[in-house]
Amino acid sequence: MNKKLYFKNLLPSFLLQILCMLLLSLFLLAVGNSFDSILFILFTWIGIDFIITSFACQKRKKELEKLLQLQEQLKEQYLIPELMKIPERADDQVFYFLLKTAEKSMLEQIDQIRRERMEYKEYIEQWIHEIKTPITAIKLLCENNRSPFTRDLLTELEKITRFTEQALYYARSEHTEKDYSIHEIRLFDIVHRAISDNKYLLIKNNVTIEITESDDLVFSDEKWVQFILNQIIINAIQYRTKQPKIHIYAKQQANQVCLFIKDNGIGISADDLPRVFEKGFTGKNGRIRQNATGIGLYLCKRLCNKLEIGLDLTSDTNGTVILLSFYINHFICQVQ
Amino acid sequence: MNPNKIMIIEDDPIIQTELKNLLIGNGYEVSVLSDFLNPVANIKKYNPHLIILDIKLPYINGFSICSEIRSFSDMPIIFVTSSDTDMDELNSIMLGGDAFITKPYHTAILLAKITSLLKRIYHTKQCMDYHWQGAVLHLENSSLEYNNQKAELTKNELKILSYLFKNAGKICTRTDIIDDLWDNQLYIDDNALSVNINRIRDKLKEIGLNHFIQTKHRQGYLI
Repeated sequence: MNKKLYFKNLLPSFLLQILCMLLLSLFLLAVGNSFDSILFILFTWIGIDFIITSFACQKRKKELEKLLQLQEQLKEQYLIPELMKIPERADDQVFYFLLKTAEKSMLEQIDQIRRERMEYKEYIEQWIHEIKTPITAIKLLCENNRSPFTRDLLTELEKITRFTEQALYYARSEHTEKDYSIHEIRLFDIVHRAISDNKYLLIKNNVTIEITESDDLVFSDEKWVQFILNQIIINAIQYRTKQPKIHIYAKQQANQVCLFIKDNGIGISADDLPRVFEKGFTGKNGRIRQNATGIGLYLCKRLCNKLEIGLDLTSDTNGTVILLSFYINHFICQVQ
Repeated sequence: MNPNKIMIIEDDPIIQTELKNLLIGNGYEVSVLSDFLNPVANIKKYNPHLIILDIKLPYINGFSICSEIRSFSDMPIIFVTSSDTDMDELNSIMLGGDAFITKPYHTAILLAKITSLLKRIYHTKQCMDYHWQGAVLHLENSSLEYNNQKAELTKNELKILSYLFKNAGKICTRTDIIDDLWDNQLYIDDNALSVNINRIRDKLKEIGLNHFIQTKHRQGYLI
């Protein structure tokens, strides 16, 4: 609270009092009181006034500062009326009512937007669910009638599947509470599935796959991990050099299982490196190579954060290494 | 040996046809359920060894069909669905389903699941050998036998020969062979395929099998 302004606001009241003091002094003088007694009255008056006004100012300032602090600590600052005591002054009460009404209207708006978003997300999930049937039909048709033509179709179909999966996980990454479940899974089973998902693209681009397999078990959601691996593999293909190679291996370190996905691609420049997980970031190389949406790694980071998987990147002109770290939780093992 | 009977319970017509073709092509006898109002009666009539069941069906829910089947039979049921929510997976398991696959599925995985389920439930002794022109390919111990001589095979070599034997008499394109190996988690590229074929030929020569694998120029390989 601005102290200067507070006293400035009291100026009319002070001026009025000075006027009254003057009038009283003149009257007392007129009825025969001595100067001394008048001065005594005036000093007492001014003294009491000064002390009380200062105290009132301090008290008011403290109260209001508390309120300001309260609001600062709130994540949703529009909820401040809930934490306030109903003010005692008549004019303050009007302002309180204004705040409360504003809060209510805000909450209604937020609620409506949340509902609309939820409905849209459900629509997307439903759409993706439905589209999988014709995709499956096309896949079966192609696999039952193998020819170079159907091979090309299957490659394009892989792309379609990739984009629908990405849309699904984008929708899910925003509201994750009910959409994932943790089980014990064999890491390399998922690695193989992710490679299989991108089979045609990998073969077409002559990518050599080297897998140093191990039987590591981790606790996570297998579908999500599969999606994350898919994104990483797609990036490795997209930013490849001649004779592309992807090496996947795992290491146990302290209380973690670390999965390494190493490629020999064109790498990520040092300037771009800190920004790769930003939404929509395509980087220097992304603009040269086509089809960079900038969403892939952003989604991976989000999903990894939700699942508490560590996601790290190192890169130079010889290639990129992506590291997924899974914590081994011994408590879960015991429960099982 | 009687082929195993599989019943497909799925409402999309293209998937019905193509899945049937896929399974017949892999040696199964297949029937597609057409009457969704009386599924159980039809199942009892056909009496399949295994059922592929879509969860989302007209008139009736896949889960209820499963419960009904479980009331009179332990036959293996593979659930297939577009949705991959965990509720569905949990329900499948709790209602007695044996496997759960989401669309679009990798056909190699579906076929492998079918084989393993049939083996587990019916203890069918799978024929572990392929025969062709006097040569016997032993899948169990990964070897090729000819004139009482055996050649040991690596994983890649075994898979390549399996594919050639399965399609004996037909030309197998390089891409099809590579495809098949990738479906089995053996990620070889074009060069590696040539190298492997040559190595196989050398091994076969050692046991007296010459010119077993023919190269059809620009088309592929043939045995």
